[in-house]
Amino acid sequence: MIYGIEEQVVLLLPVLVPMAGGLVVLMTRKLDHDRRWLLSVVLGILLAEAFLVAWALAAGGKLVLWNITKSITLTLSVDLVSCLFAALTTGVWLLVGIYSVAYMAHEHEERRFFGFYLIVLGVLIGLDFSGNLITMYVFFELMTLTSLPLVLHEGTKEAVMAGLKYLFYSVAGAFLALFGIFVLIQICGNQDFTPGGVIAKMGDGTMECILRSSLSERPVREGLFLAAMFCILVGFGAKAGMFPLHGWLPTAHPVAPAPASALLSGVITKSGVLAILRVIFFVAGPETIQGTWVQNVWIFLTLLTVFMGSMLAYKEPVLKKRLAYSTVSQVSYVLFGLSVLQPQAFAGALSHVVFHSLIKNTLFLCAGAIIVITGSTKVREMRALGSAMPILLGCYTVVSLALVGIPPASGFVSKWYLATGALASETGIWTWLGPVVLLVSALLTAGYLLPLTIQGFFPGRDLKREEERDKNLGIWKESQTEPGCWMLVPIGILTAGALLFGCFPGGLLDLIERIGAGVF
Amino acid sequence: MWPVAKLMIPGICGPGMVFQIDGFRLIYLGIGVLMWFVSGVFSLEYMAHYEKKSRYYLFLFATFFATMGVFLSADFYTTFIFFEIMSFTSYVWVAFDEKEESLRAAKTYLAVAVIGGMVMLMGLFLLYDLTKTLRFDELGEAASHALSTSPGRLYAASGLLLFGFGAKAGCFPLHIWLPKAHPVAPAPASALLSGILTKTGVFGIIVISCQMLAGDRTWGMLIVCLGLVTMFLGALLALFSVNLKRTLACSSVSQIGFILTGIGMGDLLQAAGESGSLAVRGAFLHMVNHSLFKLVLFLCAAAVFMNLHQLDLNDIRGFGRKKPLLMFCFLMGALGIGGVPFWNGYVSKTLLHESIVEYRFCGAASVCPALWQGAEWIFLVSGGMTVAYMLKLFVALFVDRHPSRQEEFDALSLSYMRPAGKWVLAGTAVLLPFLGMTSHLSMDKLADLGQEFFGQTGHAHPIFYFSLENLKGGLISIGIGMLLYTFVIRRWMMGEKENENKEKGGKITHGMCYLDRWPSWLDLEELFYRPVLQVVLPGIGGWVCGFLDRYVITAPMAVFLAVSAVACRAMDQMADSVIRMARKTTHSQIPPAFSLSMTGDGEALGSRTACGVERRWGSPGIFARKRRERTRAALIRIKERIQRNGRLVEESFSFGLMLFAIGLCLTLGYLLLVFIRQ
Repeated sequence: MIYGIEEQVVLLLPVLVPMAGGLVVLMTRKLDHDRRWLLSVVLGILLAEAFLVAWALAAGGKLVLWNITKSITLTLSVDLVSCLFAALTTGVWLLVGIYSVAYMAHEHEERRFFGFYLIVLGVLIGLDFSGNLITMYVFFELMTLTSLPLVLHEGTKEAVMAGLKYLFYSVAGAFLALFGIFVLIQICGNQDFTPGGVIAKMGDGTMECILRSSLSERPVREGLFLAAMFCILVGFGAKAGMFPLHGWLPTAHPVAPAPASALLSGVITKSGVLAILRVIFFVAGPETIQGTWVQNVWIFLTLLTVFMGSMLAYKEPVLKKRLAYSTVSQVSYVLFGLSVLQPQAFAGALSHVVFHSLIKNTLFLCAGAIIVITGSTKVREMRALGSAMPILLGCYTVVSLALVGIPPASGFVSKWYLATGALASETGIWTWLGPVVLLVSALLTAGYLLPLTIQGFFPGRDLKREEERDKNLGIWKESQTEPGCWMLVPIGILTAGALLFGCFPGGLLDLIERIGAGVF
Repeated sequence: MWPVAKLMIPGICGPGMVFQIDGFRLIYLGIGVLMWFVSGVFSLEYMAHYEKKSRYYLFLFATFFATMGVFLSADFYTTFIFFEIMSFTSYVWVAFDEKEESLRAAKTYLAVAVIGGMVMLMGLFLLYDLTKTLRFDELGEAASHALSTSPGRLYAASGLLLFGFGAKAGCFPLHIWLPKAHPVAPAPASALLSGILTKTGVFGIIVISCQMLAGDRTWGMLIVCLGLVTMFLGALLALFSVNLKRTLACSSVSQIGFILTGIGMGDLLQAAGESGSLAVRGAFLHMVNHSLFKLVLFLCAAAVFMNLHQLDLNDIRGFGRKKPLLMFCFLMGALGIGGVPFWNGYVSKTLLHESIVEYRFCGAASVCPALWQGAEWIFLVSGGMTVAYMLKLFVALFVDRHPSRQEEFDALSLSYMRPAGKWVLAGTAVLLPFLGMTSHLSMDKLADLGQEFFGQTGHAHPIFYFSLENLKGGLISIGIGMLLYTFVIRRWMMGEKENENKEKGGKITHGMCYLDRWPSWLDLEELFYRPVLQVVLPGIGGWVCGFLDRYVITAPMAVFLAVSAVACRAMDQMADSVIRMARKTTHSQIPPAFSLSMTGDGEALGSRTACGVERRWGSPGIFARKRRERTRAALIRIKERIQRNGRLVEESFSFGLMLFAIGLCLTLGYLLLVFIRQ
């Protein structure tokens, strides 16, 4: 990989192509009449995007997009973090796209959905590639706005209200973060992301940029700096579903179409993680908040979210809402791993980004399929699925166990690194309280995910008898069979990923260790 | 000594896996293969009439591999991975039948497995943090180092691990799953659950006690206490039980107690400077023996169940009459587990007993000899209870007659089991007396192979199992058992059945029945675990989290919106209110020309003006004057407007002046204030 100053126009392609493609899809009315054309265009762009991203990642480098002012520039650049996130985003987007082919047949306004589906992908790749704070912020806001139509898609009153809530939380969070960004930019300017950060603490409690030669501007006191960092954490934490701004997830997920909720939960929440990662480890530097109140409050908030999310999921009867609360909890595992500022926990956090993304996408896709086929939304009503759709429920079970952290599936590996990292860190009481909370949450995770499996495969004798009776009376639901292969194949691939990454995490962990070596 | 071989697979699941094979593992590998083979063969017959058989066999094999993985593992990381896989695959056995009680028992099993697993994982985290290794061969050294620097954390880690492994082993107070899960699982699976899956828990406890904390007095005491409680309580539960498989399950709990006692005694003896080999050889042999007993006994229960589909002693009594093979096999198992001389259980129990006696008479226990006297008596009484409940089962099955169905049972004498089942069952049953009678040739050799795993090397001093001294312990137990059977079981636990059964059957009107004398409310699971885990903790946690979720953002937001709305409205109307106040006070002498409010005033003003014109000039009746009047009216209108505007200007001007004056006053006041300050 080349880290040069030379301009790499190829970086722009994966951002622009899907956005342009999405706009074309949105504008071309003709595609409404021919579903095949629409789907081929969409899948074609998704496939092309995969190649473009691979090309861009291989080319690497940096591209200055636009000098808004002399000091504010928009740049794209590729580093290892971009690699991780962009590859994950593209892969998941492609698979969910394939799933949507079958799923969206049940919905209206497919063209609008797919149009925005492509645009959001372009924006997300832009976010992954962004090379400094301002660029990242621009793409972050764009992402909120372009993903909104996916939430609104159903067009019901509930969907609109949920969309507004999503908008409100995201925008409020982003503005909160914007305040922090102002302070950061006052200290160090709009520096390119540098592994390990560019800010140093001076002896008198002021913060300075270590890269700048002339220290002309007024220094910023530590108190203001920490307040700014806290605003950034809470603000970007809104996207990652961190308490207190987690409220949009359980509202937005149940009303969005299944592929959209899968992506919201599996990928878009991770952009909040990415933003926090960039600010803490690539602008400010981990040692600037090490041991401060910000770190302590941050750890507290993440652990609270971890526990609260799984507890509420345990109490939640509606499947998709339950999964949404589960996301609240699981993304905070990642944030917890970042917050203890320890290399091993960092590795656990980033691997959990990948694992959770695979797992949660699978769960939402399974949930979508089950809901479409059975027509029920509550877990209690979904019984005896095992005989009708063993493969689907089998996939659900495998990824559930992975999320609980049952070895050798993937969740266990990340949990191992998170907990051992937390124990090795210097965070006082959190060293052992963190792992305890993680395990309690894992217990609750088993409590809220496994009932569907259990009552699916072991519905009990009484239900069997009822079914026999129904069959004899001729009211047996014939439609309850396995979903088609357009749905099963992406689910199967994601499940295999969740399982195999757990058994053989070597390559992934190597990549993450290289990132970690840079930032610590 | 068996040569040790190791296998390391780095990179799997992150840190990688380590396997090892040595004497102990080889023996357990052999026992595992034997048990799975026998119960697999037996399953072919047992499961013949079930649906979804393929599911059962799939998970039977999956569990086999996972269990072998646990026994072959050479570090806790590997152990944990296979342990969890084993827990989940064996879950399917318990839930297999899908009856209501099976599902309930399966829930208990899963809860114990998941909670145990998570607690164990926490222990692993702590341990790894302390020692930086989980390899068994490195742990001893690392742990002794950690013991000197931070003993509290090491004990915490070991305690958490003990919780996890103890839950699987069925150690008190986590034994709750055994009496629930065994009666409902398919009987060949129960044999495996009880015979070898519980041993994986024991395996972990051995590693902690004998390799990590070898010779640690505190730890040894803890294990011995747990062992004694488990041993006694399990036997007591078994004595009260009136269900064939439940009795056997409770018996498993009790026998695990014997094994734990041996492991703990090993630590204590080592701490006292003696050789712990007597105790650990006893523990190891009892492990092996118990696997074999339970295989035989549960398969006998399987033979009963697959014919009758009932397990209650009152329903199955007399089934074994005229079935000599079944009787022989069951008898071998019963005599073995009862610790009768010349059967294998006697040998291991004697060793365990000897270890307690040895500790009692060595220096370390002299502080409180009565305590160890008590421990010895608990041991002997538990052994006695074992004899008593096995006798109860034996008499019920093979001596009693069923009041109504005896002919039906007798008719099954030839067809109750297929030949394959008979052969494997009899073959296993013969092993028990064989081992017991050739104890010096067979069992001592096994113990030599296995003891290295317990951290003991070298030969123990030879034990003469059939010397009078050693026979005494066994005979005391048997005597206690006989007494218990005659006076407690026959007198108190049997009696006339209550009325309800008479109404139902009509046939069972007389005769003695086995009564369940255990108070039904006294159930640790129903009394404590389920309420706490299902109601109390989720209730509190859910309430708190729901509160946080619902109100932490919305409530401050609502308050903020309300307050800011009021404040903004106040600021919005501030100027207006000054004017209104002025009108009421300083400008009150001027009659209002028109309302200050904006809405609908134009019309009102127009009509009022028109009325005024009419009043002044009278009604326009005369046609000729019309034109003049029109001009006049126009003039008047102009005049009115001028007047009104003049008044407005005047008012505004005066108002402006007034505000100016107020402002001036404020400024002056401020200046004055500044002046005074300075």
